[in-house]
Amino acid sequence: MTNRLRVLRAERGWSQQELAERVGVSRQTINAVETERYEPSLSLAFKLAAIFATTIEELFEPGR
Amino acid sequence: MLESPRRKPLSGALMFGVGVGWVVVYIVCLLVVKETDVPRGVGIALAFAPILPFLAFLRILGRVSREADELHQRVQLEALAFAYPAMMVLLMTLGLLELVVPLSPDDFSLRHLWAYMPALYFAGLALAWRRYK
Repeated sequence: MTNRLRVLRAERGWSQQELAERVGVSRQTINAVETERYEPSLSLAFKLAAIFATTIEELFEPGR
Repeated sequence: MLESPRRKPLSGALMFGVGVGWVVVYIVCLLVVKETDVPRGVGIALAFAPILPFLAFLRILGRVSREADELHQRVQLEALAFAYPAMMVLLMTLGLLELVVPLSPDDFSLRHLWAYMPALYFAGLALAWRRYK
């Protein structure tokens, strides 16, 4: 599964730590999601989509 | 909706400190039982004494695990999923081995074998983190 997390985060000028604090997870989790080593839970995916004012479908794409 | 009030998380340092305390109590009890001529009743009490700090450690560990985020919980699970069967294989192998080669109780008694469990757990932890870093 691919995602646009890094791009959206960079657009807002947030660090991984900042985004992690906003959604209540660790920086390592954000890093692992961004590098596509870890697929987040539905709950975290919803939080990430909400924080970027987008939908899960626009944030994550099936593939790879 | 996104930010929910949470209890102050316990620090890993506290868990580490209590864990070290537990091991220190175990080592002291081991030395006293092994090196001194304590009465049997006292010896039995000392053998059970490390359970008390262990319970404190277990309580903190449980809370830290519940408070951990989803990736950390996954890593913990994978570490245990490695350590548990690895320990089983170690014990099975030693069990078979001792049928053909006498294993010295000075090296392979129960008081030595438990130390392999945290070692295997930390190995599992390192392997799991390698996957997600």
